[in-house]
Formats: sequence, structure tokens, C-alpha cells
Amino acid sequence: MASRQVRKAETRERVLAAARDLFDEVGYEATTIRAVAQRAGVAVGSVFTTFVGKAELLSQVMQDRLEALYAELEQVAPHLRGPTVDRLRSIMAVHYGFETRRLRLFVAYIGASFHWESGNGVIPIGRNDRLKAVLLDILQRGIERGEVRPDADLTMFVDTILAAYIWNYRLAPQDGADASTMIAAMDRQMGLLFDGVAARPN
Amino acid sequence: MTRRALAKQRTRQRLLGAARRLFTSRGYDAATIRDIASEADLSTGAVFASFSDKAELFNEVIIADCETLLAAMASVADAGSTAETLLRMLSLGYEQHYEQLPLTQAAMGFSWVRDSQHEERYRQVLRRVVAQLADVLRKGVERGELSASLDVPLTSEMLLDAYLSNFRRAIFDGWTNDALRERLESQIDVLLAGYRAAA
Repeated sequence: MASRQVRKAETRERVLAAARDLFDEVGYEATTIRAVAQRAGVAVGSVFTTFVGKAELLSQVMQDRLEALYAELEQVAPHLRGPTVDRLRSIMAVHYGFETRRLRLFVAYIGASFHWESGNGVIPIGRNDRLKAVLLDILQRGIERGEVRPDADLTMFVDTILAAYIWNYRLAPQDGADASTMIAAMDRQMGLLFDGVAARPN
Repeated sequence: MTRRALAKQRTRQRLLGAARRLFTSRGYDAATIRDIASEADLSTGAVFASFSDKAELFNEVIIADCETLLAAMASVADAGSTAETLLRMLSLGYEQHYEQLPLTQAAMGFSWVRDSQHEERYRQVLRRVVAQLADVLRKGVERGELSASLDVPLTSEMLLDAYLSNFRRAIFDGWTNDALRERLESQIDVLLAGYRAAA
């Protein structure tokens, strides 16, 4: 890579890291582009040559984080052991564990993304196709092992569990809930929903 | 109610109406207290006599919508089947919000960042929505349509989660009321699937 491109990539990384830390420390609203530039040690102008604005920065920070998480989940999922319902729970527990390390950032993202139009370099909340694919794959294996009914509506199962997953974050900022509280809530929700797709003994 | 209290109540209603119109047409950020006062034909001071700031005004607009929905849900007749009754009740929410989607979008964003006092007031209303859903589920259990092992509180909360999550489809993907309703119907089905008493 030409040195110019290397520098550009480095600036981008530094800006994203600074934005991630500031969003998490002081919140999305209170974070300014100027503060991001300062923390990253770059000129305000170079933030704008890389990103359109704050919304795109937040979106990109989240996409990078989720990219890494999903890659990990995809790698781990085929090696999970135990009943299907517990495999699903494990995936969600890893997810909560990961996001609660930067809870404020994640909650800021959910709130802010409701103000975004699709496109414009930003991705609204709920576009988590890779997570859905991991869950679907576990359910599919559950069918093969006779634990899940073959005629169960798996897409709707995943859709509904992810609705509960997102709203569990509402517990977090107000009630000071930590990862284990949210994981416990999800375990119960997963159990209830799984009863609907579980193969019944004849 | 005294004459004074009545006048105060009327001012409050007028402000809520004006705020709703402006939040809907301009969005939360662009609607200023000054604009809202002038839309209501009142002074800026009158706004602050009733509400401490714009966030509180907005929160009260959202809560007024929830109250309207609660009243409408309460008047839904038992449809015979639990799933159908739940669907009819919650679809009323989609119909209500469909008319004012920009307001709903702003409210959704706001709901993640409001302060704890406003959040608590909002949750009190949400708990009443959940309680109405729980009533319907309980009746389903009583008449033997649903298994007695159904966790009613958990299921009613998950119904609300599913209902709320679908607003994203309306906001970002342009889904119509019918599409939202159809999605909710499937979600109700998967939520109750494990607890339908054997026919």
C-alpha cells in the first residue's frame, strides 16, 4: 500500500477509536466532531474527509464492533454442545456480554439510529442478518437432531427473539442492569419461545 | 374542579395539541418552545407554567397517545380466540401511529435517551398496556384454550416487545398497517405455539 493510503487508513482507525471511546464515556449527544478530532490527534478537517458526520461515525463504530463479534459467533456456533435451546442461549449470552462492555455506546446507537434515514452511510438498528443466520443455523441443526419441529416457523422465531433481545437493553441504563441480568431475562424468553418450536415426544 | 384548575387543564390540552402538530410536521429538534406557544396562541411563559421543558412536553404527548391506546384496547370485545383478541388490541396501536409516523419515529429515538423520571412515568403507562394483554392471556388459560403452564407476565411482556419492534419496519422499510398486522399475527402465533391446549 502506498504510504499515503497507509496514513489515510491509520487516520480512519484513530478517528473511529476516539469516537467509540467518547460516545461511550460522555454519550452521543454530548460528543462533538471537534472533540473526536482532538482525542484522535488529527485535524477537524480530516474527520470530515473520511466521514460525512457524527451519525456515520457512530454507525461505522458499531458496524466494526459487530463485524468482529459476528465473526466470532460464526466460528464458535458449530462447536456448541448441548440441547438446541441452550446453544441459542449461549449465542445471546455472548452477545450481551460483548455489548455490555460498552453499554452506553450501544444504547446511544439504538436511540440515534431511529433518527437516521436508511442509506447515507448509516445502518439502522435491527439489520443483523449475520446474527440471524447463526441462530437459524443452530435451529436447522436442531431439526436434524430431532429437537425442533421441521414445520416450525424458524424465521419468525428469530424475529421475535430479537425483538425481546433489543428491548432488554431498556432495562440497562435505567435499572443499572448488568450483563447477567439481561442474560437471565433472555434465558427465560428463549425458553418460552422455544417451547413453541420444540419437537414433542409422540 | 375549580374554575382555575379547569382553565389550567384547558391550557395544558391546547399546548399538547399544538406540540403534537409541530413535532409531527417538523420533528422534535426543529419544533421550538416558542413555535409551540405561538401555534397554541399562548405565551412562552404559559408553556413553562405547565411543562418544565421540551422533553417533558414531548414525553406527555407520547403518554397521551398511550392513554388513548389504552382506552381503545379496553373497548375491544373478546374475539373468541386469544390470539385474535390480542391482535385486534395491538393493531389499534399501529393504526394510531400510522397517521403520525414522524412523531412515532422521534418518540422511538427519544425513548432510549430520556431521563429516568420521564422513563418511569412512561413505564407506568406501558405496565398498564402489559396488564391488559395479561388479562386476555389469563382468560385464555381460564377457558382452557391455553395451557395453565403459560408464564403470563413473561408472555405479555414479550408481546409488547414484538409489537414495538415492528415499528422499525414501518419507519425504515415503509411497511403498511396490513403488513405490520400480519407480522404481529405470526409473532403471536410463535409466542403461544408451545401453550395451546391440545384440541
